[in-house]
Amino acid sequence: MRELELYFGPQHLGMVGNFSITLKVEGDRIVKATSNPGYLHRGFEKLMELRKWIQNFPMVCRINVVEPDSMEMVYSMAVEKLAGIEVPERAHYIRSIYLELARVGSHLFGLWAYANMLGFDTVAQWAMYHRDLILDLFEELTGGRVYHIYIWPGGVRRDFPEGFSDRIVNTLHSIGGCVPDYDAVFFNNRIFCQRAKGIGTVKREEAKEMGATGQVLRATGMKYDIRKVEPYAAYDKVPWEVPTREDGDAYSRIWVVRDEMIESVHMIFKLLDNMPEGETYNRVPNPFKWNIPKGEAYVRCESSRGELGLYLVSNGEDKPYRVHFRTPSYPHGLTVLEKALEDASIADVGNIMISLYVVAPEIDR
Amino acid sequence: MNSSLKKSLESAFKEVHLNFPEKDRLIINVKKDQAMSILKFLKEKGYEHLALVSCIDWIEEKEFELVYVLSSYLQNDSEYTEKEKANIILKTIVPRDNPRFFTTIPIFQNSEPYEREIHELYGIHFEGHPRQIPLFLERDYKIPPFRKDFDTRQYVKQVFDNIPSVEDRAGEK
Repeated sequence: MRELELYFGPQHLGMVGNFSITLKVEGDRIVKATSNPGYLHRGFEKLMELRKWIQNFPMVCRINVVEPDSMEMVYSMAVEKLAGIEVPERAHYIRSIYLELARVGSHLFGLWAYANMLGFDTVAQWAMYHRDLILDLFEELTGGRVYHIYIWPGGVRRDFPEGFSDRIVNTLHSIGGCVPDYDAVFFNNRIFCQRAKGIGTVKREEAKEMGATGQVLRATGMKYDIRKVEPYAAYDKVPWEVPTREDGDAYSRIWVVRDEMIESVHMIFKLLDNMPEGETYNRVPNPFKWNIPKGEAYVRCESSRGELGLYLVSNGEDKPYRVHFRTPSYPHGLTVLEKALEDASIADVGNIMISLYVVAPEIDR
Repeated sequence: MNSSLKKSLESAFKEVHLNFPEKDRLIINVKKDQAMSILKFLKEKGYEHLALVSCIDWIEEKEFELVYVLSSYLQNDSEYTEKEKANIILKTIVPRDNPRFFTTIPIFQNSEPYEREIHELYGIHFEGHPRQIPLFLERDYKIPPFRKDFDTRQYVKQVFDNIPSVEDRAGEK
């Protein structure tokens, strides 16, 4: 049969985000797929070398549009490590609660994209509405809905307002009350099952070879989660489980996402119960005269997509010398996706890409 | 992890500089021609997750520093040991006037896009890389843009100052 070259994205109904894939197809089977990133390359890492340590926050959170909060966290962690700043106990708890809220919000956004792509418009609208309820909480806490810049070196910007914990619990209860509806309409739906089972399968050994992390790896039965491997914030203070599945296909990945949301909500409840009183912020030096000692740090945390790392180098000045983010979508979008698309059908390109949770701005940076 | 790995590394390779900045971090400084065999050795020891390949431009020392961040995967969270929690950072130096290195794709498949990115942004050539074509950029720059001698502000001024502003054009009519 004749081989054709087909461009999928950046302007395409099945494409979420500024990303494109060049497909070589035979009939409707894909022979070879090539990822083309770069539509959102803003050169943030270079620009950060020209700005002071604190001035970089507005760029840091814009690297991942969907989940800016773990970006703030990883940058703060690196700066704290280089400068030797301690974080108060209460701030650790607040950071964990805040990051788990962000994880639920990000997964709901991911669920919106996935359900929308499969044609489950009702579920997509629910997920978007429920994400908005979480954004309302963020707005009350930080003043911003999407970009918050709430985590700072030394702690968090402000303490929870009066009665905020109760409002978190209420919001999460009202979202959690809809889990049976989500299950009935989407997760246990036969159409979803048929569209997602056996699609985009990545075996465990392949996933490890290709540097996968996050749901992509956990859907193959590996309990690899940075929150457990190298606990940061308050993740080692409360008991929780790492949800996994065995098959490594799109169906398993979306189920891991669902289980992870529920686990996060339970974790937030436990963290709220155990939260100590006290300070939320240790003062740092004047940001405009702040020179950080010479050194380098590699820190990592678990974003909603997988292992998020930051390699930060200081040469003793008031600006970073080198910033390099290890974003989870980078191996997922450039290595795993090309492999998973081989021999798939054209109709499943969006399905596979969104189930791998690829976010283009994170790749381009 | 520290003592046993240190011993086996020091017995297998000469001229390896190890230092432990923290309990679960190990930094290895090696010569350019040893890097590949040490990466292979570490992979066999179970550090099979290549998290990041990065590059630093030390312009005053006239050298590039390539950085490989390794850690290990594991299956069960109840079995995490000191070895598994460790991050290994392997560093090697490439001279600035002859920026060439070898590709690590035969050892770590996922280093492919990282090396492509470093080739594009720093101009380091990786011998044996099958697809050293641009990843992000659209234009060809004389100096690769992430090098320290590439002046972003001057570039922006040069490019955009030559485009007349809307007000100027309105005045022409």
